[in-house]
Amino acid sequence: MKKQVRLPVLVLALLVLFVILFAETVVVKVKTTAVRRDPKFTAPVVATIKAGDALEKLGEQSGWVNVKTKAGVVGWLHKTAVEAKKLDLLAMDKTMKTQASASEASLAAKGFNKRVEDQYRAANKAADFAAVDAMEKVKPTAAEVEAFLKQGRLGEFGGTR
Amino acid sequence: MSAPVRTLAALVLAAALALTGCQAVKQGAADILASTGKVSQEDAEAIVKTAEVLRSTFAEITEEEEYYIGRATAALILSKYKPLRNAALNAYVNAMGTAVAYASDRPETYAGYHFLVLDTEEVNAMAAPGGFIFVTKGLVKRCRDEETLAAILAHEVGHVAGRHGLQSIKKSRLIDAFKVIGSEAAERLDSEKLTKLTGIFEGVLGDVVETLVERGYDRKFEYEADKLALSYAVRTGYSPAGLADFLAGMDQRKPEGPAAGWFKTHPSPADRLTRVKTETAALGAVPAKLDVRTVRFAAAVKAIG
Repeated sequence: MKKQVRLPVLVLALLVLFVILFAETVVVKVKTTAVRRDPKFTAPVVATIKAGDALEKLGEQSGWVNVKTKAGVVGWLHKTAVEAKKLDLLAMDKTMKTQASASEASLAAKGFNKRVEDQYRAANKAADFAAVDAMEKVKPTAAEVEAFLKQGRLGEFGGTR
Repeated sequence: MSAPVRTLAALVLAAALALTGCQAVKQGAADILASTGKVSQEDAEAIVKTAEVLRSTFAEITEEEEYYIGRATAALILSKYKPLRNAALNAYVNAMGTAVAYASDRPETYAGYHFLVLDTEEVNAMAAPGGFIFVTKGLVKRCRDEETLAAILAHEVGHVAGRHGLQSIKKSRLIDAFKVIGSEAAERLDSEKLTKLTGIFEGVLGDVVETLVERGYDRKFEYEADKLALSYAVRTGYSPAGLADFLAGMDQRKPEGPAAGWFKTHPSPADRLTRVKTETAALGAVPAKLDVRTVRFAAAVKAIG
């Protein structure tokens, strides 16, 4: 019995170690965000990405991650928009695909989500979700924030220290 | 393969497989681990189980779940207070708040930060999980310049960045929720489980809203948010004096009788002021207050007198 498990154990252990050491994939965890040319929010947008998108991580610099999108576009994302990709050996071994896995997608489909909100709303008419929708619609663009900073001589437009 | 190498290989494999969340493979890993003869079957299973990623605390609430908790919390706050109908003031507050959020430790949340002025003379500011931030008209009227309002917004962004609202959720509720979520092999919950989860969701909202509106955060979170507020304000380019100015003003206007609103949900301003002054002094060189900002603040708040 022992002799039979030796080789698979070694091969699998090496494979797993390889994946741990060399996997440089990050996954977007926010609904949608922009990949920017430089590591700052006011830099031009080079790509738009959404929750669940996988990106190749090229490097990191003061809170920003340098990434390459599936389409090959290279740019920067703030590190709080992504998380390290969880290991998923199931994806590597197609024969085991029928096994249930606690993947992000299945968690999202079963956690506190739109379906839970809809059911909650149906029973709690007083909760003003319409006002929340209106609140969410107000979102200044990076250009508007930049104009605000510039007019107020804030951030990179400041200098009085 | 020698015994130590085999044990090491099996341990690495067991831990790594446990991280993938596959039950059959995990059992296999435990068996392999036990087959090395170095650990018992029982211990082997325990090792694999410990390495498994189990959701049990607030830290494991996903960004999307935090967003839905925040949305419903905001909906409940907005059933009590109405938004102020002043688009120009709201745009000004959103630009300022977003600028501060950009400079924070957590500029990205699931659906971003949103700020809203509430139409009430009550003095209060609240941050729902995920980045739904409210300031009352009464509070804005107490701010004497942009640095003061920026300090308040930075304090609220600090609560969101520190996920303080989520930490008010009772642990037993999260365990119940994660049990329901984890119990189904299917991709979606059936209607019975959905109803159960919605019931837990309601309890979660009760915890968060009670903390935001009635009870207030734990003191340590208020002190932490003050510290973060100073840091975020300075990083944005503001003078850190705004926070101390605001607290000093609030201390002078303490209401007689039972505390309400902001005074009820926050530690005493005098107590916070002492800490904030010490922390401000430790910041070193900081940006100065500028007239250009005070002038635009006065223009933005003119309509609310």
